[in-house]
Amino acid sequence: MTTNERLKPLALLTPAIALEVGLFFVPVGILAIASLTFRDSFFFTPVWTLSNYANIFSNAYAFDFEITFGLITLAAFLDLMLGFPFAYIMTRRIRKYQDVFRAIMLVPLFGELYIAYGFYYLFFPGGPLSFLFASGVEMFRALYSLPAAVIALAIYTFPFSVYNIGISLQGIDRSIEESARCLGAGSIRTFVNVTLPMCIPGIIGAWLVSIGWGLGAFAIPILMGGAVVAERMLSVEVYSMALLRMDFGMASAIGVILAVIAVIIFYVSLKASRGALI
Amino acid sequence: MKASSAERVKDVISYTYVLLISGLLLLPFTVILMRSLTATLPDGSTTFSIKAYFDIIASFWPKVYLSLSIAITTIIIDTAIGVPAAYALVRYNFRGKKTLFTMLNGVWYVPGICYALSLIITYYFLYKWFLGYWGFIAAYTCGFLMLMLMTCIVAFRYVDPCYEESATCLGAGRFATFFKVTLPMVGPGVSAGILLTFVLSFNEFITALLLNLATRLQTAPVRVYADITRARVLPSISAEAAVLQLISLAVVLVYLKVVGTKYLRGVVLI
Repeated sequence: MTTNERLKPLALLTPAIALEVGLFFVPVGILAIASLTFRDSFFFTPVWTLSNYANIFSNAYAFDFEITFGLITLAAFLDLMLGFPFAYIMTRRIRKYQDVFRAIMLVPLFGELYIAYGFYYLFFPGGPLSFLFASGVEMFRALYSLPAAVIALAIYTFPFSVYNIGISLQGIDRSIEESARCLGAGSIRTFVNVTLPMCIPGIIGAWLVSIGWGLGAFAIPILMGGAVVAERMLSVEVYSMALLRMDFGMASAIGVILAVIAVIIFYVSLKASRGALI
Repeated sequence: MKASSAERVKDVISYTYVLLISGLLLLPFTVILMRSLTATLPDGSTTFSIKAYFDIIASFWPKVYLSLSIAITTIIIDTAIGVPAAYALVRYNFRGKKTLFTMLNGVWYVPGICYALSLIITYYFLYKWFLGYWGFIAAYTCGFLMLMLMTCIVAFRYVDPCYEESATCLGAGRFATFFKVTLPMVGPGVSAGILLTFVLSFNEFITALLLNLATRLQTAPVRVYADITRARVLPSISAEAAVLQLISLAVVLVYLKVVGTKYLRGVVLI
């Protein structure tokens, strides 16, 4: 009877475990192995080498890391600046039409492709914002500029960041704030000294989650980044290395590094904002 | 009196801010929709027109059907796998449960491009039979299983096990209890998982882009991307992007009308 009881959850979980092992752990393992081979030799007779990783940690890729992390860190900061008041208002003040605003939060989940395309058109010559620029050269500078890409990325990662902040705000016991008010603290002082310190883990978690999602962004940098960002963003580099230059070894090595960074970031953010999962 | 007017001012500021942010979130969608509804006349002026939507019927709708069929197959398999797994994770206690849960979620934390690359290398090297329609299904069922697990876990936690126990006490068998008591109660929660899986797998782009070269199957979002890189900002391309977003939006709105946001809170919404 007891062995039967013990086997039941295992039986229910087996398909899920089989799916994840077969289609996630095996592929990622193969990716790690492929990252140790020279160019596309993995598919024929593998030539083992560490030169891919040596390449990444040489100066050749310093600019890629700089541009990738510069872009996504800026976008994550923008998310915090806009997202913290948004989450605060959504959890504390909005009573009517709450579901409408929640539904709008789902729209960026449709995919970064549409966000990228919307912004692409917005700044395109003849597009809605083209009147802002006098000459054609200026327009292209705006389209392929960092601020446009940062705003687009921030919109893409906005829901995840708001979600993390909102969870931590909801977790705060309101009676603690009330007792601060009773003891004579003003509303600003209560916010700065009581509310804000209590949701710092959520804010850190939100910032890290934004960065983690930004790492995987692909359509935004490739459509909006112009020559500099589109060529040198790490996620785009994986794609162009693998499918345009057929250098699967190098692409896998960059992919492994990206994945390791993302997993570390998400792990730390999960620890920081207990409970919040995405 | 003074306090209430101060409250009103705060409310106005709050709603204005939330509306502004919502406008920013909807901006790309609005721009695409506007572009798809304009047509340029020979003399250079623009006019309202829905011609672009008719132009794309022959070339684009087959891709939409392909995307829809991939999304629906993914949903069926994910529900069949995810619901029992979530049930086991909520109702049973065993050693290593937390580790197992993190392991099942692992795919969610790896950037899409890395996962897609690892999949095509594996398909070429090991699972050659996946180079086709089922390659998409395999990628999406594994990639989005986590959404189904999360929503179902939230849903199963809402259901008090005492209902199941009383059904069993009253003589219902294990299957009767599950299908007649548990499933109707978790139904809305499972539907949240179905909604998220649909929205994400229908619009999935990176994996589909990499699989496109290997399988010669082009899903709708990849078609939009290919058209953007080929012809930039024509109204017909905006119409393609708008159609995909409108389908997703319609599904979301119908869901929110029928079920509400209750089961999405704690998963992707505050």
